[in-house]
Amino acid sequence: MIQISQLKKQYKEAVVLNVESLEIPKGECFGLVGNNGAGKTTLFRIILDLVRATSGQVKINDEDVSKSEAWKAKTGAYLDEHMLLAYLTPDEYFETLRKIYGLSEEDLKQHLEKFTELFNDEVLGKKKYIRDLSKGNLKKVGIAAALMGNPDVVMLDEPFENLDPSSQIRLKKLIIKEKENSKVTFLISSHDLNHVTEICDRIVLLEKGKVIRDLREKAEMMSELEAYFTG
Amino acid sequence: MFFTLIRLQFLKSIRSTSFAKSMLTNVLMGFLVLVLLSYVVGLGVLLKAILNMAAPGEDHIALLNSFLIYFFLAEFLYRYFIQKLPVIELESLLHLPIGKRKIIQMLLFRSFVSPLSIIAILLYLPFAIEEVSGKYGVMGAITWISAITLTSWTIHWFMLWFKQKFEDSLIGLFVIFLALVLGAGSSYMGWFNLGELMKPVFDYSLTSPFPLIGMVVVMVVAYVLCYRFYVSNAYLEDLSEEEDVRFVNQSIGIFSRFGLAGELANLEWKLIIRHKKSRTYLMLAGFFLLYGLIFYRNPAYAADEGSGINWIFIFVGIFITGIFMLQYAQLFLSWNSGNFDFFLSKKQGVESLIRGKYLLFMGVSFVCLLASVPYTFFGWQFLLLHICCFFFNVGILMHLIIYFSLWKPKPMDLNKGAMFNYEGVGAAQFLMILPMFLAPYAVYVPFWLLINEYAGLLALGVFGLLGLLAFKPLSQININRVLANRYEISSSFRQEL
Repeated sequence: MIQISQLKKQYKEAVVLNVESLEIPKGECFGLVGNNGAGKTTLFRIILDLVRATSGQVKINDEDVSKSEAWKAKTGAYLDEHMLLAYLTPDEYFETLRKIYGLSEEDLKQHLEKFTELFNDEVLGKKKYIRDLSKGNLKKVGIAAALMGNPDVVMLDEPFENLDPSSQIRLKKLIIKEKENSKVTFLISSHDLNHVTEICDRIVLLEKGKVIRDLREKAEMMSELEAYFTG
Repeated sequence: MFFTLIRLQFLKSIRSTSFAKSMLTNVLMGFLVLVLLSYVVGLGVLLKAILNMAAPGEDHIALLNSFLIYFFLAEFLYRYFIQKLPVIELESLLHLPIGKRKIIQMLLFRSFVSPLSIIAILLYLPFAIEEVSGKYGVMGAITWISAITLTSWTIHWFMLWFKQKFEDSLIGLFVIFLALVLGAGSSYMGWFNLGELMKPVFDYSLTSPFPLIGMVVVMVVAYVLCYRFYVSNAYLEDLSEEEDVRFVNQSIGIFSRFGLAGELANLEWKLIIRHKKSRTYLMLAGFFLLYGLIFYRNPAYAADEGSGINWIFIFVGIFITGIFMLQYAQLFLSWNSGNFDFFLSKKQGVESLIRGKYLLFMGVSFVCLLASVPYTFFGWQFLLLHICCFFFNVGILMHLIIYFSLWKPKPMDLNKGAMFNYEGVGAAQFLMILPMFLAPYAVYVPFWLLINEYAGLLALGVFGLLGLLAFKPLSQININRVLANRYEISSSFRQEL
């Protein structure tokens, strides 16, 4: 699904990302962990072609992301609030996305029904612009937007941050369900080791831009990560 | 404590990212302010001579006094547009154990330190020294100039209250409109002489200190009104938050016929309506529709050689039909600096965004063209002028401006007002004024000189139509430029906001 090869990002002298090769198969839930400045967000931005790689390339469905645009129709992402249209209400925002993705109104309704529990009646039908929402609700809107249009790949940066405990648990359920029902490939970065090890089949640990662990055994993930982060 | 706060304010303005980044803009702005102030001083010095020329032999002081009300009306208007509200800094201070009263005092004091506060003094002091002190003695001159200055300062405090309370609301617009009508209309149309209303006050101030004392009281009242209002509303949701603009939430239906680009044009329309800065631009477009009134009937620009078209009219026509586009497109992508990643991450997103903007510009220009039809009343040539200028605007000038604006676009905060807010403005925005002025004349002048004015106009129209026919390739040039620079643009938008 996603192939990364010889990827490097450099700001003047400082190398912030250096990934030799990384392959993410379809349907995998891929977790990305690492301390601040490890390059998680940069990696996501390069995959989404928001930042130019100094060298190397990223392919989604065998398309080089910097050369074509077709992959964008099947890739959903929520990294930060720059990806929202803050001057719309959530309803207007979803309606806009519906038109962009060419979905029917019924499709949109069905999609949003999946989020009823997560939204907890605080998002839809309110006369409030997105820019005035709380950080948690902002995140919920972004996540629901990222999952629109039946994407093959969904990338979420720190999805659990700013969410209340019930919402965190609901979000986990939702991700697992999407993964099983629609074979969506998830790329999730998180500082919350418990959540990320619970939902992800594979965890990659970044340090100063390099992949230093690639863990696939569920049983060992937690202990390995704990050992690393306690130093 | 007071000085600590002042120092903080100073540091804030020095260290803000936009200050360092746009040093050039700031220097230019400072220069401009100095030039304008020196004009005011010059006018003040020449005031006596001007009055002498305009009305020889009359009592100049009495004449000036009867005109003062217009000065204050004008002051009211320019203060409404220029004066900034001081509440933006409130957020970072409110939670500290300083006391609201102190903070508000400081903010109000800061708002008072501004070139606007000395305009009245600069303008009337020379006249007071030269003329008034000769006739009514030094005391008379002092009380007179003080009364004027205090009136001006009263307007300052009143405006702080007025803008906070009514800005962006229909009442505010209505009052401004009323001020315009009163100022321009009343004496001109001969309904009543507004000047006579205020004249006795200033006449009396020449010989007695009572009007001065009265003005002190009025100013203190205005200050207290303003101060009380700010203290009692010193909550984030009352002052900093923008009120919701609910009355214009509709989409423009016709755009949805143009597919994805049309959808994004609709989005852009919502963006314009829901942000202060863009709304001001839209309002300006409305004001500029009246621009022709100044020029078309002005004897100074009366038709050369009977054709009814002065060369300066081209410029007026371009402005009337295209001012919104010309201004808005200068900051083409900066408007979307807060959500550029959204468009980047959608298939065809950037392309449709740009096409949508094109669509919107054409739509607004067309509405301006329709709204300018009444100028036909002054003569058919103005209809022709506007149609030709419209085509030139949407056919040629639009592409040109956008091309220039794509040179290093900068991020900006849309929730700040537009007047004297130079966020997002860089060297490119200054430079692009040149092609804006030159391009229409480059087409018009040769045909005008070789044949006649109408040939020049037709040439503008034909060039515009050709540009319109070549819309696809021309717009593709700009789209490709954005796509080629997308990384730089998106990272500059992300880092600075």
